[in-house]
Amino acid sequence: MAAAARALRVLPRALPGPARLLHTSPTCLKTRAARVRVGKGDKPVTYEQAHAPHHIAHRKGWLSLHTGNLCGEEGAAERAVEDTFLRRFLFGTFPGLLQDEVVLKRRGNLLVVCALLSRALPPHKIYFLVGYTETLLSHFYKCPVRLELQTVPARVVYKYL
Amino acid sequence: MAARAGLWGRAGLWCGEGLSLAGLSRAGLCCRPGPGGVPAAPCWGRAAYSSVPAVSDREGPQQREASIRRRGRTPQSVRSSAPPRTERMAVDQDWSSVYPTAAAFKPASVPLPIRMGYPVKRGVPPPKEGNLELIKIPNFLHLTPPAIKKHCAALKDFCTEWPSALDSDEKCEKHFPIEIETVDYVSSGTSIRNPKARVVTLRVKLSNLNLDDHAKKKLVKLVGERYCRETDVLTIVTDRCPLRRQNYDYGMHLLTVLYHESWKTEKWESEKSEEDMEEYIWENSRSQKNALDTLLRIKASENVSDVTEDELLASEAVKNYRNSVIALKNEGETEGNMSQYKESVKKLLNIPA
Repeated sequence: MAAAARALRVLPRALPGPARLLHTSPTCLKTRAARVRVGKGDKPVTYEQAHAPHHIAHRKGWLSLHTGNLCGEEGAAERAVEDTFLRRFLFGTFPGLLQDEVVLKRRGNLLVVCALLSRALPPHKIYFLVGYTETLLSHFYKCPVRLELQTVPARVVYKYL
Repeated sequence: MAARAGLWGRAGLWCGEGLSLAGLSRAGLCCRPGPGGVPAAPCWGRAAYSSVPAVSDREGPQQREASIRRRGRTPQSVRSSAPPRTERMAVDQDWSSVYPTAAAFKPASVPLPIRMGYPVKRGVPPPKEGNLELIKIPNFLHLTPPAIKKHCAALKDFCTEWPSALDSDEKCEKHFPIEIETVDYVSSGTSIRNPKARVVTLRVKLSNLNLDDHAKKKLVKLVGERYCRETDVLTIVTDRCPLRRQNYDYGMHLLTVLYHESWKTEKWESEKSEEDMEEYIWENSRSQKNALDTLLRIKASENVSDVTEDELLASEAVKNYRNSVIALKNEGETEGNMSQYKESVKKLLNIPA
């Protein structure tokens, strides 16, 4: 009773009456998603960046393989959340070293992370980062995590846009 | 689910310069200067150990590579990387030691000049170094026939022989009449639980159970749809319990209860009427009454001395008629059944053919 009276005192003006409102959702630019726009011809792009999402299953494979998206299987949402976290984690743990998107493969319980790194760091630092990543992620996700790295001297350019 | 990377090879090898497989380890995989006269090391913009021209257009101007060099250069990155392992691989090496388990594609460990991807215009598919498409797809490099032979040899120690006494299906059925079917589900993820795994299917042939006529009919009525007449198999599917063990126990309990219940005869079972019968029984049916009636009247009209019903029933013609009517009712109307019925009626009523 007293609390209600206090609440009413807080509101200085009367509650708004019935009104007509428009419900908007944030804009979803489907025609611009994951596409590198054509420029002057000096922008190097990798194979992954050069192909738009509609080329998936035609010219591109999937970056994350797991059974969650099969018919009658569960866990698709959990895997998607894990994937997002892993990509951000790896992007931060190997700053400036990731040359291309990270490929995630799940084999039963095992999570295999395939990353393409550049050769900017000396090997002992890379080994430390690998151990750090594997241990931390294994403890975090309670499943074995294996990192399979490949180093390239420079970003592999597919074409210039 | 595999990406269709145009016409060019996946496992079908795109050999850039007509190299044979045998000669790969020696020829062509060393670093060569590209068309622009760029020095051997460091080769920015193309892999240091590709023997084939770069994927990008040949007119890539010098300043592009120079700018990449300037942007990408850090003091430590001018490190000489060791040549790939493929250069030191013998042709007759043990491949199962290169790929002992399932692993991602490693271009420096696979001595094949594989290209994968959609080619640029007037170009070729990208080479294997740094090729994400080759890493994405699952490969079976760890499952070559010699590797599988090794697996089998290692697993043999854990296998037991099939019992020699059970060498035919009939023997298996005789000793193990009940078949239990359960399904295990494997998926990728941190959880091994799958609710579909609790379903248990129990199958048994009723001929293996000790049932007399009444018990069998009662059992079939009790289970309804779960019994298949053609194969004489009773199938019980249980999934109402949360665990597989519980469902199995429940299935066995159901079978036991059905068996015992079908042997019991309740008081109200004597009220079984003609509609409840599973098959047509001629004795005490209208067909029998009508046939006997007709025959008695025929005999009376011919002034033959009283023939008893039992004699009539035992006569050949009536027996034939009985069989044909039973066949018609139980099996339905077929050519054979109808002609048999016709013959039997003609004999019964003494109609000349």
